[in-house]
Amino acid sequence: MALLYGLLWRLLLFLVHINRALVSWLRVRLRSWKGRLWERAMAALLLPVALAGVPDPQRKVNQDPDANANPVTGNRNAGRRSRWLSDGRSLEKLPVHIGLLVAEEEPSYTDIANLAVWCMAVGISYVSVYDNHGIFQKNNSRLLEEIVRQQQDLMGVDGSKCDVEFLSQGSDKHQHHVVSCWPSVKVLSPEDGKQSIVQAAQQLCRSVENRERSSRDISVSMLDLLLRESKSVPDPELVVKFGPVDSTLGFLPWHIRLTEFISLPSHRDVSYEDLLGVLRRFGSCRQRLGQ
Amino acid sequence: MSWIREGELNLIEKISANILKAGPMPKHVAFIMDGNRRFARKKQMERQEGHMQGFNKLAETLRWCKHLNIQEVTVYAFSIENFKRSQNEVDGLMVLAKQKFEKLLEERENLEKHGVCIRVLGDLNMLPLDLQQLIAKAVVSTKTHNKCFLNVCFAYTSRYEITNAVREMAWGVEQGQIKTSDVSEALLSECLYSNNSPNPDLLIRTSGEVRLSDFLLWQTSHSCLVFQSVLWPEYSFWNLCEAILQYQLNHTSIQKARDLHQEHQAFVQLEADRACVAEHLQHHGNGKPADARRRQEALQHYATCREERIHDFLEALQNRRDSYYTDLLSNAVVA
Repeated sequence: MALLYGLLWRLLLFLVHINRALVSWLRVRLRSWKGRLWERAMAALLLPVALAGVPDPQRKVNQDPDANANPVTGNRNAGRRSRWLSDGRSLEKLPVHIGLLVAEEEPSYTDIANLAVWCMAVGISYVSVYDNHGIFQKNNSRLLEEIVRQQQDLMGVDGSKCDVEFLSQGSDKHQHHVVSCWPSVKVLSPEDGKQSIVQAAQQLCRSVENRERSSRDISVSMLDLLLRESKSVPDPELVVKFGPVDSTLGFLPWHIRLTEFISLPSHRDVSYEDLLGVLRRFGSCRQRLGQ
Repeated sequence: MSWIREGELNLIEKISANILKAGPMPKHVAFIMDGNRRFARKKQMERQEGHMQGFNKLAETLRWCKHLNIQEVTVYAFSIENFKRSQNEVDGLMVLAKQKFEKLLEERENLEKHGVCIRVLGDLNMLPLDLQQLIAKAVVSTKTHNKCFLNVCFAYTSRYEITNAVREMAWGVEQGQIKTSDVSEALLSECLYSNNSPNPDLLIRTSGEVRLSDFLLWQTSHSCLVFQSVLWPEYSFWNLCEAILQYQLNHTSIQKARDLHQEHQAFVQLEADRACVAEHLQHHGNGKPADARRRQEALQHYATCREERIHDFLEALQNRRDSYYTDLLSNAVVA
């Protein structure tokens, strides 16, 4: 009997995998179909709710700005920048701080760089990039170069007015490309999660040991202050999770108490429209804050 | 309505349960039971009635979990943030909680029969005293049961819990029971309200919201998160099966990530021990660099002492927590 159930279980998993493969194949094919047909097709395939990545076809953004643009590159870039900015302004709400959580093996630097540049272009002030192996952090100079390259590509040379201040763990590694206080890209790894809470705890314990304070004085705001590298950077309001793993994988446990989590199937070949779709979904999230 | 629902699953449910049980099953599931008020609005009933239905659904879900061999369930019943609601609603929820805990105490024999251990996690001193006393009675009377565990988070937020754990460790340092260098991820986990439970394997949030709302942020860092759009009072056995299926699909990759994290934790602990031993040898050595064997012995000795220190500290912590409940009970008797 147990053998039979075992086989049935394997069959169930197999069916789910087929279902998922079919959905991602269809997603690619049917991007341009009308909204209602798409929704009906999806419902027929009995999909679970986590279909975050599907772009809303009815509000499809014009994918080809080159159509009416002057062949001169400068105009195309200017056109793109103003489109992105206006897209950002048209959203109901925009996160000040967005997290990009890559839950996939073998990250693609180009795609993450694209995402970072689009986020900044749309008006998001802080972008945090994370993977639970710490790969991005180990190679953060490579990521920086890629971001700068994409920025120049997508926004033109004078797009470097939109400056990138690149912070990595340990502020002795500040790398400025052009001096400004505008958007910041931060690279995070699991050390920035539980480990930094432990370090803050050790700091407080040390001060208690040195009789600088009593253990009773330790409060939520005290711990929060220690865990906040800069007063101006808020907790991430939105984390976009890429990949099939349904977990935060150690991403900043303290900071994600009110963070909205929206998933996309993969960061490879992710498009601007995918990101915009996520931001639209974020716009419709309503927080009641306990009330 | 009762906390314990009797009754078997019907045939289709039983077959589905058996199919799921052929794969890896979560041993500890956490629920954010969201959607009671929206359900009440939808069915045009009073909010209080929505919360009642929510409680009934909890009892039913516990029955399903029992049949699925899910031994431990943690639920988010009341957040510290919920105190911000209207006085009317907060009072109503407190009254509901009192009724439920009173009912729980009436069903003591049933709880013993099923071996249910009830634990309440949170900053309980924020609650009215009579509710605290009821909670104390429920917790103490089911303490020794060990077949299944229900953790109710009441007057709880994760940040308060983590801060409290840091405060407890600082208290330990203040008392000279542990050193600052003993503070680690593992020790912090042992100082949380949930220290008697393993981390949840699966966290389910209903009503379509996709955030954690300050619930078990530390404990769920490597759990499977499933967000379902169904409102809590409408939760069905099939919704639960769907969530468990998601868990099974994620099992291998999450297990890999957990193992990676644990390896790293062990490495960090070893490095910390080494640093302490090196410092100790420097101060107490005779100027000559210690040989590898002496270093290794010192390291092992240090680790053993550290573990002993921590064991004694955690025992003291547990005694403090137990005496909080026994004090409440003795006050209740006197009153």
